[in-house]
Amino acid sequence: MFDFNIPGFIVPDILLLIFPFIVIGSRLFCSAQSKVPWRIANIGFIAIFVLLNLIPIATGEGRFFITNWRVDDFGVLMREVLMVSAILGIWFAKDYFEHGADGKPQMHQIAEFIGAIAFATFGGFTVVSACDMLTLFLGLEIATIPMYALTAWNKKDQLGSEAATKYILMGSVATAFELFGFSYLYGFAGSLHFSEIQAAVATGTSPLLWVAVLFLFCGIGFKLTLFPFYTWAPDVYEGAPTPVTAVLSVTSKATAIAFLAVLVFGPLQPVIDKINPLIALLAGTTLFVGNLGALKQSRLRRFMAYSSIAQAGYIMVALLGPEATAKTAIIYYLFVYAVSNYLAFFIFGIIGHHREETFASLRGLSKQDVNLAIALAISMFSLAGIPPLAGFFGKFHLFFCGAANGHYMLVAFAVLNNVLALFYYIQLIKSAWVDEPDGHLTPLRLTKRQRGVIILLSVMVVILGFLPFLSNNVFAGFNF
Amino acid sequence: MDILLFNLIWVIPLLTVLVCIPIPASHAKLLRGLHTASASAVLLMVCYLAYRVFMLSGTPASDAASPLVLRFLTDIPWLTMFNAHYIVGADGLNILLLALTAFIVWGGVLVSYNIKGNQKVFFALIQLLATSVYGVYMSFDLVLFFVFYEMEALCMYLMIACYGSGRRDYGGKKLTLTLAFGSSMILATLFGLYFESGANSWNLIEIAKTTIPMEFQMWAFPLMFMGFAVSSSLFPFHFWSPDGHSAAPTAVSMLAAGVMMKMGAYGCLRVAMFLMPEAAKVWLPYVVALLIFNVVLGPFIALRHKDLKYITAYSSISHLGLIFLGLAAMTPVGLRGASLQMISHGFLTGLFFATIGMIYERTHTRDITEMGGIMRKMPFLGVGFVIAGFAGLGLPGFSGFIAESNIFIGAFQQESTLTRIVTILAILSITTTAVYILQTANRMLHGPLPQKYEGLTDGCFREKLVIVVLVACLLFIGVCPGPFADLLDQSIAPIFAKISAATQPVTSGIGG
Repeated sequence: MFDFNIPGFIVPDILLLIFPFIVIGSRLFCSAQSKVPWRIANIGFIAIFVLLNLIPIATGEGRFFITNWRVDDFGVLMREVLMVSAILGIWFAKDYFEHGADGKPQMHQIAEFIGAIAFATFGGFTVVSACDMLTLFLGLEIATIPMYALTAWNKKDQLGSEAATKYILMGSVATAFELFGFSYLYGFAGSLHFSEIQAAVATGTSPLLWVAVLFLFCGIGFKLTLFPFYTWAPDVYEGAPTPVTAVLSVTSKATAIAFLAVLVFGPLQPVIDKINPLIALLAGTTLFVGNLGALKQSRLRRFMAYSSIAQAGYIMVALLGPEATAKTAIIYYLFVYAVSNYLAFFIFGIIGHHREETFASLRGLSKQDVNLAIALAISMFSLAGIPPLAGFFGKFHLFFCGAANGHYMLVAFAVLNNVLALFYYIQLIKSAWVDEPDGHLTPLRLTKRQRGVIILLSVMVVILGFLPFLSNNVFAGFNF
Repeated sequence: MDILLFNLIWVIPLLTVLVCIPIPASHAKLLRGLHTASASAVLLMVCYLAYRVFMLSGTPASDAASPLVLRFLTDIPWLTMFNAHYIVGADGLNILLLALTAFIVWGGVLVSYNIKGNQKVFFALIQLLATSVYGVYMSFDLVLFFVFYEMEALCMYLMIACYGSGRRDYGGKKLTLTLAFGSSMILATLFGLYFESGANSWNLIEIAKTTIPMEFQMWAFPLMFMGFAVSSSLFPFHFWSPDGHSAAPTAVSMLAAGVMMKMGAYGCLRVAMFLMPEAAKVWLPYVVALLIFNVVLGPFIALRHKDLKYITAYSSISHLGLIFLGLAAMTPVGLRGASLQMISHGFLTGLFFATIGMIYERTHTRDITEMGGIMRKMPFLGVGFVIAGFAGLGLPGFSGFIAESNIFIGAFQQESTLTRIVTILAILSITTTAVYILQTANRMLHGPLPQKYEGLTDGCFREKLVIVVLVACLLFIGVCPGPFADLLDQSIAPIFAKISAATQPVTSGIGG
């Protein structure tokens, strides 16, 4: 039953699984405020990222204990996206813990924090390469449960505890929905394996299948913050520590959309035409509601929550396209979204060290620190999808994908929504660029490292879009 | 060599921004010098290239099958993931618009020497704006075109909101969001063009070879045309322009009114009408009805305003209405007039906003009721303003006369009663234009000089240079329009050929 022959494609996953233990273990041998665990994690994560790029044997199919894996090119690229998110996440975490939640350094907590992020990322790895329902479910849970813990990281923070409670309750309900959907799918197909389910779906449908699909979409709707299941997001985003919010907005969104892509282009492929209206409906309503909600926010992280709800809607548009284009579009978009989003959260994190996290705290930023204001404008315009920044090309790709199958109305709706989105991103830029400085605000002090990260991310947002190396070289060699 | 120079047009402004990044903002003199040098270099290059295009006219294009005769054509695969190419090229129409842009950018840099605030960021934004405008006129790939077209929104808001005056945040937001609304309409139809044309290419020339299905054209054309018309402030999307212009700093007003508003008209002609001529024939008569506002009511609104920039903004609205009248005429003369008007109005309004900015810098008000006798203290700026006004009302000898007469003749050739009525109204409205121009000039320049203006000085050399160069351009086109008309005719011919070849299968009008 158990096969201990470890195939090559699973090596990065295993490394990632071992890593948290090394990082947490290293704490035993160094002082409380030591940076060693962080350094080990940083080197390790970057090594895994490089490994994913290097090994040509990273793809393959196989059985590992009771789980079935199939790592294809989509899986490898999604892993890279997840690793980028994890690396940026721990950079951000260092920033956060060096400063501490209440002004005192808390570097002793960082090892556990990194461990949780690594597990969540491993969960994502599992989801993108699962080829049976059980593996998929395990991955999804491994990706979600560390997030609950991370959300409640600050034990003394009431807002955080409230957020975590809300998140756990909502998340558990979502899990229940998913499991229910899985069980019906199993009942319908008589198998957990994707290829067999696909074969069963291709031969004929029954009401049982539609119930399963509906429940699956409900479950994933929670995780992907789709309308009408998005309500937890603003509270959780605001209550969680800033690095957790950033990881949550990228890693768990990436995992959830990968889950959908795996399902829609896997077992449900034969009935995709019948599911498309549902996807279109969810995409349209989600991006509209997200944009509408963001209009009136005055707190930075609530604002980012609604903005990322809207982004989830935009990503959904790509699922309507042909498989290969859709997967490329999703990966590319997630990548630029991750970079832009982390840039925004990085800046908000720095603001949050010194000031309250509201729009008012940004007043006069351009006069105090023009580079920070430029970085903020770059990230906001990128999220709003203004060329020549990366966000535009990402969105263009998504819309292109939706239009490829003739969904012009949805694409037109999404494009018009972009104007709405531009309005609120401009509100934020206005606070930073137009409003006069407020003398009561504590001045911002940036360390060299913070500056370096911000410059790196800004440059990436600027060049990732129009420099064609990413699309041409990376995607040319892959087939989905 | 020429091809390299041509591609450098949009690269040089961008490079200038990059070069200036390490220079600290306190070295304002060095920064200004660098930006002036780069703008002047581009200006010289574009003038040389325009001369080259003129000399090459008559020789066939490298690609004989291409419906457009393009010089300096460059085609490099760019974003393979959605099949976008980097395609730039020049024909008579866009090389002249590029020259116009180069002049206005050069003038804009020169008049902004005393701008308050962080000059490093301001000049960088001007150069980015220049890049985007150059890019729009150069590109023949729709993705590239759209990227440049939308890029201006990013610079516009920051420049108006941070460096403007009055209700700058409101004006900037209104302008940016309205323009973004327009470009979202364009973007929605671009996808349709790619897939419905069957060309599976973003290349304008490739799409032009196909015939796009009529059902698609019928809804896509109005969407795209209006999307472009937003930035040319066609009624009912004109409302952003007065607020935006009045809040903007001088250089931005010059660029916005001088070249950016032409991008819309250029897009209407080059993309919407060229690619979807069948639908253009159905829809453009309805556009003529909208023009009544622009052309006839615009001058009347200008008459009632006291703020110099509002007056000029409404005058721009009416002049841009004339461009659309020329386009809607769909005759070679009308199209030539429309394109001439794009260029002529660019210089004219650039001169207008430049002199207004210079006067405002000294008087700190733009309210004409508070001014008076300025001619005594600032004769040079005063004369510049009057010349701009005369060129604006179409005085023979200036470029405006040539352009407007072509438009009126072209529009009258169109055998539709509505177009003819609007044309007559438009000709009559020149009188209104004369009234508000003369009235403004009279109140502002003559009469008693208020006490507080005793210490004012006339323009410095830099400012005089801008005025002289812009006036010279207006006069040059006005006195010797031949070469310009020849250049434009060459590039309009294929567009007109496509329009006249378009049969009109739908006779039932809207909704087909």
